[in-house]
Amino acid sequence: MPDRPLDTTGPVAPPRRNGELVFGAPWESRLFGLTMALHRAGVFRWDEFREHLIAAIGEWEREPGASAWRYYERWQVALERLLAAKKLCSPVDLDGRTRALAARPAGHDHR
Amino acid sequence: MDGIHDLGGMQGFGPVPWSASEPSFHASWEGRVFALASLAIAAGVANPDAFRHAIERLDPVTYLTAGYYGRWLAATELLMKERAGKTLSPLASPGTLRAVDGAPRFALGDRVRTRRLHPSGHTRLPRYARGLRGTIALVHPSFVFPDTNAHERGENPEHVYAVRFAARELWGEGAEEGVQVYVDCFEGYLEPDVP
Amino acid sequence: MSPHDHDHDHDAAFALRTEALEALMTERGLVPPGAIEAIVRHYEQDVGPLNGARVVARAWADPAYRARLLADATGAIAELGFSGPQGEHMVAVENGPRVHNVVVCTLCSCYPWPVLGLPPSWYKDPAYRSRIVREPRRVLAEMGLALPEDVEIRVWDSSAEIRYLVLPERPAGTEGWDEARLVPLATRDAMIGVARAASPGDGDRA
Repeated sequence: MPDRPLDTTGPVAPPRRNGELVFGAPWESRLFGLTMALHRAGVFRWDEFREHLIAAIGEWEREPGASAWRYYERWQVALERLLAAKKLCSPVDLDGRTRALAARPAGHDHR
Repeated sequence: MDGIHDLGGMQGFGPVPWSASEPSFHASWEGRVFALASLAIAAGVANPDAFRHAIERLDPVTYLTAGYYGRWLAATELLMKERAGKTLSPLASPGTLRAVDGAPRFALGDRVRTRRLHPSGHTRLPRYARGLRGTIALVHPSFVFPDTNAHERGENPEHVYAVRFAARELWGEGAEEGVQVYVDCFEGYLEPDVP
Repeated sequence: MSPHDHDHDHDAAFALRTEALEALMTERGLVPPGAIEAIVRHYEQDVGPLNGARVVARAWADPAYRARLLADATGAIAELGFSGPQGEHMVAVENGPRVHNVVVCTLCSCYPWPVLGLPPSWYKDPAYRSRIVREPRRVLAEMGLALPEDVEIRVWDSSAEIRYLVLPERPAGTEGWDEARLVPLATRDAMIGVARAASPGDGDRA
């Protein structure tokens, strides 16, 4: 039986239309692909990621006015925390790399 | 209209961008575009045929480079400008299926010839299939006639037929072997093919 | 700053952070090269529109349903609860060993929304719209579907309000499979006609 980590229904499930995943921007699908690739490589168990996702969604739900709902923003928060907990990517490293990418000359295609 | 939108058979576009590494998932804005277009149509900004024709009337460079969302936006702006100050009339009845008096003129297997139309307005007979000989492959129901409906000259429903063309009829000697092309034609586009 | 600008900056910030994350993970050897692209392609092409897939799976599993689908696709599709705009009048066209069907809208991007959802970008692209009616065997081969010369290709141009659904051939090795098991094999590309249905063991499906 193939590994089927994704929830298909419920608050934790990624948005779908007619069975197909829906992404608001290319980076969301990239993030999705990155997460699945890490999982398949055995970097974490799916339930570990899912717990962080549930927590990140719960935080938004406690303060819904604080920011617009974006499913994949919750997903990204969850992934960052999971990778930090596993000592695979510290917030410091990630902040640093993000700043470096932001310093690229204008016109670069940000996916 | 013999516009840029009528792409069937045009050459020079290169490979179909099918297995690009850039993902082509459905962006959530596509759903919003669809919803807004449906609302605009329901509110009477334009009927679906007029909407399609507005997209067809974009200049060729915009049409080819604006992308799906850009085309839709540009067409909406065009329609809003053209309809400024006019009262909107919401769609009389939904959908495009309409009853007509009288039986279909053509039957399965009939040989037909498409007219050599070149209307400046909206039509759904592609250029590549005009003035050519085909066979009735399917008799469909009757529908709102887009050529008049797009210009608010009435629904004038007609029967539609799937007309089968041999590839050689469409493209001449260089055509691929073993290919048939089916084009859905309104009755008004067809005349009997008499030997 | 307009709400749109704010959204855009917000989006760009997340895009940048995602790119940074991907770069670090790849550099640290945690993500094999090409893994992300393969996953994205899998979800793009293999995990497709469920409505259409259910129609096809039922037609494969139930000969009486298949007959109804071919005689009156609108009615048969409505039996499963699917109908709506751009699906007022549907026709199912069946593939066989000697016949292959493929669908296009050369004039715009008409597509059977109620069963297949929104069309993929390539379907709306001028390259597909212009070339599939003129050199379908070549275009299909470029897209990975090589059809021998003795297979007739039927190209359906959705120039009016009729919407076409391709009923692909049922894959070999699925004898005795129930509908639910068949659903994942009916891919969107197969229902447009640019691919065959997936085979058992083509890789895991979500």
